[in-house]
Amino acid sequence: MAQEEGSSSVTSPPLQFLPWMPLSPGMGSPYPWLRELKSEDRGLCLIHLLLACANHVAAGSIESANIGLEQISHLASPDGDTMQRIAAYFTAGLADRILKGWPGLHRALNPKQASLISEEILVQRLFFELFPFLKLSYVITNQAIIEAMEGERMVHIIDLNSSEPAQWINLLQTLSARPEGPPHLRITGIHEQKEVLEQMALRLTEEAEKLDISFQFNPIVSKLENLDLESLRVKTGEALAISSVLQLHTLLAMDDEMHRRNSPSGSKNPNSNHFQRVQINQNRRTLGDWLERDVVNAYSSSPDSALSPLSLAASPKMGSFLNALRGLSPKLMVITEQESNHNGFTLMERVTEALNFYAALFDCLESTVSRVSLERHKVEKMLFGEEIKNIIACEGTDRKERHEKLEKWILRLELAGFGIIPLSYHGRLQANRFLQSYGYDGYKIKEENGCLVICWQDRPLFSVSAWKFRRYD
Amino acid sequence: MVGGENSSRMTVSTASGEDAISSVSSFDNQGIPHSITVPIPKKKRNLPGMPDPDAEVVALSPKTLLATNRFVCEICNKGFQRDQNLQLHRRGHNLPWKLKQRTNKEPRKRVYVCPESSCVHHNPARALGDLTGIKKHFYRKHGEKKWKCERCSKKYAVQSDWKAHLKTCGTKEYKCDCGTLFSRRDSFITHRAFCDALAEESARAQTLAIMGKEGNGCDVRRVVASPSPPPLTPSTSVVSPGLSVQSSELAENPFGLSPPPTACATATSTSSTSSTSNVFAATFASSTAEPAAIPQEASVPSSFPHLFCGLARSDCPPTMPAPRAIESPSLSLSPSLYLSNNTSSLFTTEQDHYHYTPSPQPAMSATALLQKAAQMGATTSNPSFLRGLGLPPSTNQDNNCNKWVVEPENNTTVAAGLGLGLPSSDVMMGSSSLFGNKPTTLDLLGLGMAAASSAMLNPYSGGFNVGAAAVAAATAAAYGGGKETWDGVPERKPYGSTGASL
Repeated sequence: MAQEEGSSSVTSPPLQFLPWMPLSPGMGSPYPWLRELKSEDRGLCLIHLLLACANHVAAGSIESANIGLEQISHLASPDGDTMQRIAAYFTAGLADRILKGWPGLHRALNPKQASLISEEILVQRLFFELFPFLKLSYVITNQAIIEAMEGERMVHIIDLNSSEPAQWINLLQTLSARPEGPPHLRITGIHEQKEVLEQMALRLTEEAEKLDISFQFNPIVSKLENLDLESLRVKTGEALAISSVLQLHTLLAMDDEMHRRNSPSGSKNPNSNHFQRVQINQNRRTLGDWLERDVVNAYSSSPDSALSPLSLAASPKMGSFLNALRGLSPKLMVITEQESNHNGFTLMERVTEALNFYAALFDCLESTVSRVSLERHKVEKMLFGEEIKNIIACEGTDRKERHEKLEKWILRLELAGFGIIPLSYHGRLQANRFLQSYGYDGYKIKEENGCLVICWQDRPLFSVSAWKFRRYD
Repeated sequence: MVGGENSSRMTVSTASGEDAISSVSSFDNQGIPHSITVPIPKKKRNLPGMPDPDAEVVALSPKTLLATNRFVCEICNKGFQRDQNLQLHRRGHNLPWKLKQRTNKEPRKRVYVCPESSCVHHNPARALGDLTGIKKHFYRKHGEKKWKCERCSKKYAVQSDWKAHLKTCGTKEYKCDCGTLFSRRDSFITHRAFCDALAEESARAQTLAIMGKEGNGCDVRRVVASPSPPPLTPSTSVVSPGLSVQSSELAENPFGLSPPPTACATATSTSSTSSTSNVFAATFASSTAEPAAIPQEASVPSSFPHLFCGLARSDCPPTMPAPRAIESPSLSLSPSLYLSNNTSSLFTTEQDHYHYTPSPQPAMSATALLQKAAQMGATTSNPSFLRGLGLPPSTNQDNNCNKWVVEPENNTTVAAGLGLGLPSSDVMMGSSSLFGNKPTTLDLLGLGMAAASSAMLNPYSGGFNVGAAAVAAATAAAYGGGKETWDGVPERKPYGSTGASL
């Protein structure tokens, strides 16, 4: 009971009654005073309820979690204000997680269906249009490519997720204006869907013809993790650039279970299944870590902090992929990633990080798009909602949305033998000019360790960093 | 031109090697060029690129052109760059009188063509009139660039060009307000036009907004005018450094390039705090039986949207986000105030906004809510929430609704005080001074008060990792000093006095 009190009695006077509600679950009627909650209070209420519920889910107390979910359902709504929407998708994720405990139920409610490709394409397009993040990433990536490829006659670009032709159209246009003339450009696009690549090929070759640039597009239909580097057919003598926009983190997906069991650090609390109680001692250590902000120390003491050497070293897919890429000796690799740690071992870590991250993203939408917009709803539901669900409900190799912060990426890539190329001042200038000229207010670009971080109101959201193959000398 | 015996105006003579030398040094005692020309009585200057049709066209070999010592003493074969130097030298040879004379011939007008066949000046119609000119041309176009500027690595084939460049290289630089350097005036001006356009546009927007161009007229102006001087001062101070220091500190850059809207947002948000309290009161009062507040609620939100819309862009009709921005300064003090500086400039003139209707319950941004919740901590009790609003909950009355009414008045002063002071300062410090016991609580929950706002953005990672059971213990420890504990929950229920400890 104290637990319930602690978690939910928070804000406005009416909420004080909440703790007593669970005791009599037969109450049934939606709490009328909840309707009168002002949006701010409702938002705060939702936050506390969400976290309490997540705590329950992490701890395995399904009953309490269930009640929590029910309480939240009275306040949350995918059509309401920002916090309501976030809460709606987070609870969906939490519920999905609980439901996975009953695989039969889960499968029955989520039948395997080939989602419409056109919907997915549309959602990606909406993300591109409604936010400046992708555009900025393209501007910065292209600028880095142009600077690195100065003087090169043969340029080969590998696009790890080739779905937006605008990125390369922009590059083609800039290359055609190069003083020494455009190089021979080859772009290899990787995507899981053939149709997307066909569309890319069409648009890009059309543009290249218009600009009279010698151009070749090679499509590769493959999942990133199954990519066969031979199929890239990198030729000697061509300058290689790799562009990875929000893709690399999927390679971090691995069977955490196995790795934790085998880990030398002997963690006391393997996150074996969803319903493991979180130990307080570990949490205190994590708190200590956060207090010290000792984020670069790869030998942090807390095993469930995402910075432990365990998690850095242990992702096999990432390790082999980076090694393979390095083997191609790329001249440049530009990586755009979400700037948030959604790869923590414990659910609560991920939930709290995700809350902050997606709150900022939902805020972006709230300030730029109307609430009744269908596009906004689509992006929220099919893009962010799915990402949230993946972060919360999935584990192991299913959990693909393993976003990590820039500092971790830097460590990872340096370990893999890449050296950072600081993004040039000119690139930053371009990006800022772009922001201003398109009137995207509220977004900022910060520089961190030679990389650029795109922020919304000081909350870093996406990071762009450039790397080169580093010889050991 | 002048009709003469010779119908052929231009004759071309080719010379090579030593012969060329002789033909070059034509007006002296050396050999006569192998050409037949018509001497021209007077010297005239021709337009550049259009040689005198009567002139003799001399095509010198590349070797000749590149030669430096063209004047050669016939006695000792010593070469000189200038004819005068050669004469001086010849005096030393003690030549007999006859040979001292220079053949006094009319200097023939000569034009020179470039021996390089691909060159434009190879065509006699485009011959150059000056020997030095053709030499320089040959060097520049078809010669090797042997002279290099140290500063800018620009290479020159002609030494005089190089020397001339050295004089100006790096000496004159144009610097734009945004920090970019230019050596050329034209490129500087072009850039500045582009750069200025942005700065000017934002400046114009600001002045328009302040004029209340879009607003409801008097309401807006009144609101803006009253506290305008103080808020504008910090804003203008923000503007100037922002505009000048744009280049390197990109953190400031967006701030700098759009300082006017931001600063204006500051101004208006701070100006709005005083009347925001009314909105605040109004929103809560609407749930009570206070009729007086309700008309306020109706009027204020309608004027503010105009204000904020005028701020951000032109022609923004009343939009829902605007009231939200209004609330944020007062409600979520520290971090959101900083947010609100930019929040109001967020509201773009998207068409979708036209569909908004100002709702009576404006929403805070989710990020602000999270930060606020973090400040309060996961399990702070009721009065702590009130503390979070910045006022001691000692003003409790019996009715919870009344309490909500009462508080905003206190909140106003606090919020206004914070609002005016905070926009450019470290917001977190402001709030920490306000919440006396907060640092303790927050530190326990893993939040450093002195940390940057980004630390605040991770409140939950520290705060909520603590399990529910631990939280109770934590709060007990935090509030152990006689403040509310969990045991105090039942006491608080009747909203009785919350104790002097607060």
